[in-house]
Amino acid sequence: MKRFALAGNPNCGKTTLFNSLTGSTAHVGNWPGVTVDKRDGVYKKTPEPVAIVDLPGIYSLSPYTPEEVIARNYILDEKPDCVINIVDATNLERNLYLTTQILEIDVPMVIALNMMDEVEKAGDKIDAELLSSRLGVPVVKISALKENGLKDLMETAYAASLKERVGTTVLEESSLAHLIGDVRIALKGQGVKGPLFHAIKLVENDSIEVEMHKETIPMIDEFKATHEDDVFGDDFEALVADARYKYISEYFAPALSKKKQEKFSMSRSDKADKVLTHKVWGIPIFLVILFAIFHLTFSEDFLYLGAIFKLPTLEDLGLLTEDADPLHYGVRLLACIYDGAVFSPGVIINNIWNNMLVGELFGRLGGLVEGSSMAPWAVGLINNGIFDGISSVLSFLPPILVLFLFFSILEDSGYMARIAFILDRMFRRFGLSGRAFMPMIMGFGCSVPAMINTRTLADDKERTATVRVIPFFSCGAKLPILTAVAGAIVAYFGVGNADVITFLMYLLGIVTAVVTVLLMRNTTLKGETPPFIMELPAYHAPQFKNLMAHLWDKTKHFVKKAFTIILASTIVIWFLTHFSFNWHFLEDEAINESILAGVSQLVQPIFTPLGFGSQLGQFGWVFVVAAVAGLIAKENVIATFATLASCLVAMANLNIGGLDIAAEEGIDAVQAMILATGISVPALIAFIAFNMTTIPCFAAVGTAKAELGDKKRFNGTLIFWITSSYAVAAMIYTIGSWWWTAFIWAAVAAAATALVVLKNKRAAKTVKAV
Amino acid sequence: MPIVIAPKNSILRIVRIATDEQTKKHLEDLGITVNGEITVLSASGGTVVCKVKDGRIALDRSISTKIFVA
Repeated sequence: MKRFALAGNPNCGKTTLFNSLTGSTAHVGNWPGVTVDKRDGVYKKTPEPVAIVDLPGIYSLSPYTPEEVIARNYILDEKPDCVINIVDATNLERNLYLTTQILEIDVPMVIALNMMDEVEKAGDKIDAELLSSRLGVPVVKISALKENGLKDLMETAYAASLKERVGTTVLEESSLAHLIGDVRIALKGQGVKGPLFHAIKLVENDSIEVEMHKETIPMIDEFKATHEDDVFGDDFEALVADARYKYISEYFAPALSKKKQEKFSMSRSDKADKVLTHKVWGIPIFLVILFAIFHLTFSEDFLYLGAIFKLPTLEDLGLLTEDADPLHYGVRLLACIYDGAVFSPGVIINNIWNNMLVGELFGRLGGLVEGSSMAPWAVGLINNGIFDGISSVLSFLPPILVLFLFFSILEDSGYMARIAFILDRMFRRFGLSGRAFMPMIMGFGCSVPAMINTRTLADDKERTATVRVIPFFSCGAKLPILTAVAGAIVAYFGVGNADVITFLMYLLGIVTAVVTVLLMRNTTLKGETPPFIMELPAYHAPQFKNLMAHLWDKTKHFVKKAFTIILASTIVIWFLTHFSFNWHFLEDEAINESILAGVSQLVQPIFTPLGFGSQLGQFGWVFVVAAVAGLIAKENVIATFATLASCLVAMANLNIGGLDIAAEEGIDAVQAMILATGISVPALIAFIAFNMTTIPCFAAVGTAKAELGDKKRFNGTLIFWITSSYAVAAMIYTIGSWWWTAFIWAAVAAAATALVVLKNKRAAKTVKAV
Repeated sequence: MPIVIAPKNSILRIVRIATDEQTKKHLEDLGITVNGEITVLSASGGTVVCKVKDGRIALDRSISTKIFVA
C-alpha cells in the first residue's frame, strides 16, 4: 500500500485533514502541538487504498522539540510515497519556509493550501497556478474543515506519487549556491542518498546532520572559510534562513493578493487578546472562567438563585409524599431540575441520567435477578458485586463529559494557548515554562495523553518534572471520588457546599503540583527554564463536529473501561470480600473474616497518620481497600465503595434511614461507610487528597514509564508519588484535626526550604570558586 | 533597541538576535530573522506578543530583551 505523509506547521490543520480523509476522530485542538506522535489511517477513494500518516507539526526540518524529531525522521528515513505539505494559507510566507526545505528532499510532494475558506472570507485571493509553477510541485486549494477540495488533493497526490521527484532548492540563486554545490558534490562522492538536502543542512550547521557526517565537517569548514558575507559573518544558518525568506517573499508571496492594502492592521483576534492577555486582568479572567466551568458543571444552586431568592423546596410546595418520595412522575422529572434551587446544567443532565435512566435500569435488572431462582451467592455477586460497581461508575459519565466539553470549547477556541502565555510568568517562578501548562490542563481529562503531550517541552528535566505532577491535575476518573466524598460530607455532616469543596480539591492538586515542582527544580531536577516561544493561533468559534467527536471518544473510552477492567476488578473484590482464607463463602455479615479484610487489616496501621487507618476500628480497612483498588483504575475507588457499603450495612446492622447504597454517585454509599466507621471530616478530605496525589492508575504509570525512558527516573517517580501523597494527606488530616499542628508543618517546611536554599547557595559558591 | 521597549503597532526591522544558537534557530523557523520584519502588538512586564509574517508569536522576557530592532 502506498503511504502519504501529512506534514506542515503546527496548528495548520493536519489532523483535521487526517480525520476528514480517513474518517478518524483523532484529537484536534486550536493550539500548536496537539499531535505529538505519528498516526495512521486509510483513504479509500483513490484507485488503490492509501495509508495516510499524520505527523506532528514542524516549523522546519531542523527539530527543536522531541516530537519534531519524529516528523523529520519519518519524512527522511521512512520514504513515504508522497508528502502532502499542508500550508496554512492565512500565514502563507511563514508556512512556505518549511515547504522550501521539504522541496530539497527527493520525494514526491503536493502542496495543500488549507484554510482557503478563511482567506476568501477576508476577501483575499491566492493564485494557485502561479504558486505551483514557481514551486515546481502541484498546489491544491482545500478547506480541511469544510471538506472542500479533498478529492482533488488526493487525486493529485496519487498522480504525483507515481513519478519520482528530485530535490530542488530555492537557494540556487543565493550567494550560497556555490558553497552548497561543492558540499553536495562531496557528499555524492561518498554515496550519500539525497545529497542536496544533507548538503544544505550541513551548511546550516544542523546538529543532527553534523553528528551524522562528522568526518566531512573539516572539509565543509574549509569550504565555508572561503565564503564571506557582510551582514551575517560566519553565521551560516541565519544566512540560509534569510535567503529562504527572501526568496519566498520575492517569488511566492506575490501569489497572494490582499484586499486590504495597508501593511499593518489589527485583527479581531488581536483585539480580543488586548483584554484576555491583559497584564493585570488576564489571570483574574482566567480564574473566573475556570470557576464558571465548575459552577456550571457541579453547582446545585445555579447562579445562587436559590440562596438569593430563598426559593421553596419541593417539600415546601407539598409535592412530596410522607416518605419524601415524589408524588408522581412529573415531580420526579422536576426534581431533576429544581429543589429549592435551580440546578446547574451539569447537575440537571446528571440527575436525568442517574435518577431516570441508569438508576431505573439497574433497579429493574436487580429486581429481576433477585426474583429469579439463583443461588444466594450468585444473586449477591450479580447485584452487589457487578451491578452496584458498574452503575456507580456509569453514573459519573455526565459530569465527566460536561467538564470535558467545557475544556474542549476552551481548547478549540484558541484560548488555551493564551492561558499558557499569561501563566508563563507565574510558572517561571516555579521553574517551568508556560508551555508546561498544556499537558497539565490535559491532565484534567486523562493523565495518559497529558504525559505523552509533554513531548512539546524542549527541556528534558522540565519534562520529567511535568510528567511527575500531571496526576495531581485531577483526571476525569478521580472526579467520582471527589463528588461522592464531598457530597457525603455535605449530606452527612451538613457542612460546606459540594461545588466549593470540589473546586478547592482541584485547587489543592494544583498547589501540590506547584510546590513539588518548585522542590524538584531546586533539588534533583535543577536546570535552566527554557525560554517561552509560542505561536498564538487566531481565535475561532468552536466546531460542533469537533466537540462531539471529542465527547464521543471520551465516552467510548470510559464505557469500554467500565465493562472491562473495572468490571473485572469489582468481581475480584467481591470474591475477596465474600470468601474466607479457607475458601468458605461468607454472607455479607461476615465481611470481617474475608481474605480482603485479613490482608487489609495488616496494612491498615500504615494509614493511621492519614486518618483512615487504625483509629477507624474494625471496619476501617474498607478505605484502604478502596485506595489500593484505585491503583488499577481510579474509577475502582467508587465501585469498591458501592460493593463494600452493602456488606457493611448488613454486617453492622446500620440504621441507614432513607439511604440507597446503589444509588446516585456513591454519595449514599460513602455515608454508610461514615456511619460504620465514624471517620471524621479531615480524614475524608485526606482520603480524597491521598487518592488524588498518589500513584495514578496502571495506564498512567505505564505511560510515565515509556515517556521517562530512564529506569532510575521512573523509580524515582514512583517514590515521589508515594511520598507526596502520604505527606499531603497526613498534613490535611493532622491540621484538620488539631489546628495547632499547622505550626509544626510550617516549621518543617521552613526548615526544608532553608536547607535547600543554603545547599544551593553553597553549590553556587563552589562553582564560582572553581 | 530590544523589542521589549520598541514602539508598538509599527513595522520594525530586526538587526540582531542575541540568544543562544538553538533558540535562534527556532526563532528563524518561526520567521524571526535578522533583516526580517516584526511588529510589537503588546508588551507587559517583559513578555511580548508580536506579529511576524501573518502569525502571532508570544515571547517571554528572556527572549524579548535579546531581539534588537532598528
